[in-house]
Amino acid sequence: MDISQERDGDVVVVRLAGRLDSSAATAAEEQLSAALAVSPPRVAIDMSNLTYISSAGLRVLLVLAKKVQQQKGKVVLGGLAANVREVFTVSGFDTIFPIEADAAAAVAAAR
Amino acid sequence: MLTFPEEIVLLLLDEKTGEFLPLPESVFAVVMGGAALMELELNNRIDTDLEKLMVVDRTPLGDNILDDALAGLAGICDKRSEVPIPGALYEAALNAEDYRSWALKRLIAHGVLLEESGRHLWVFRTRRYPVTDDHEQQEVRARLRQVLLSDEIPDPRDVVLICLIAACALMSFVLSEAEFDAAVPRVEQLRKMDLIGQAVTRAASETDAIIKFAATTM
Repeated sequence: MDISQERDGDVVVVRLAGRLDSSAATAAEEQLSAALAVSPPRVAIDMSNLTYISSAGLRVLLVLAKKVQQQKGKVVLGGLAANVREVFTVSGFDTIFPIEADAAAAVAAAR
Repeated sequence: MLTFPEEIVLLLLDEKTGEFLPLPESVFAVVMGGAALMELELNNRIDTDLEKLMVVDRTPLGDNILDDALAGLAGICDKRSEVPIPGALYEAALNAEDYRSWALKRLIAHGVLLEESGRHLWVFRTRRYPVTDDHEQQEVRARLRQVLLSDEIPDPRDVVLICLIAACALMSFVLSEAEFDAAVPRVEQLRKMDLIGQAVTRAASETDAIIKFAATTM
């Protein structure tokens, strides 16, 4: 899986590409933790190139969401493919995260 | 920290009498099997998606319950390319009685429980397991109350415990009746968040429905 990070004003934009599963979870957790350096954190996660997410991937996002809530920040997801969106719907993770249609909308919502 | 199978055994013991609360054996089996699977999941030995379960690391954890469940799953994975989550759950559930007895032995060895033998009606041998150290249970209860009665995002262990407690219909361990009535949507939201937990919920409710149907038609 590829993970990259950039700043867009006060928002950290994390781009996830490929498969977020148990083999990628540790690296993803480290990268996402780095996005919380500024408090309160404002994080937009671009998932438009994420092709697969497993339970291990969902756990990484859950831990991130908890840390962001503790720091009174905001995390927004954008650009979910239909199969990834289905995982969020079935698992109820769509009730934990604000989800926007694309990365630009996620950045705007995270401000 | 206790493992989920140990937590379930403790949870199912009546705090006052030290005896096991009534729970159909088949429901207990899927809950115990699910507890083992979810502990393996949080220890990065297995992973799941909407359809299947994968063994991603066969390294034993040094825990007889978890290592037995892991070996069983690895055996299935050697024969089939994909293991549906319900199939994995039923495989783990087959050894639930052994897991209960192993978890009890460990809890006694760690000083959490005592074992007392007695006789019922001077004939039948009985065993009680009074809790001697309940500080971990109290901590779990306080943490789960906080998660269930607020919008706080749970950590993954809290999600698993809520799934297991709800599957055993033991939310009274955490919430009063009035609190539970108000928190039903929150319980439903959180118990969906683990995919193995969803399979446990389905299997437990199907088993329970069959037992209730049988009881009303006999």
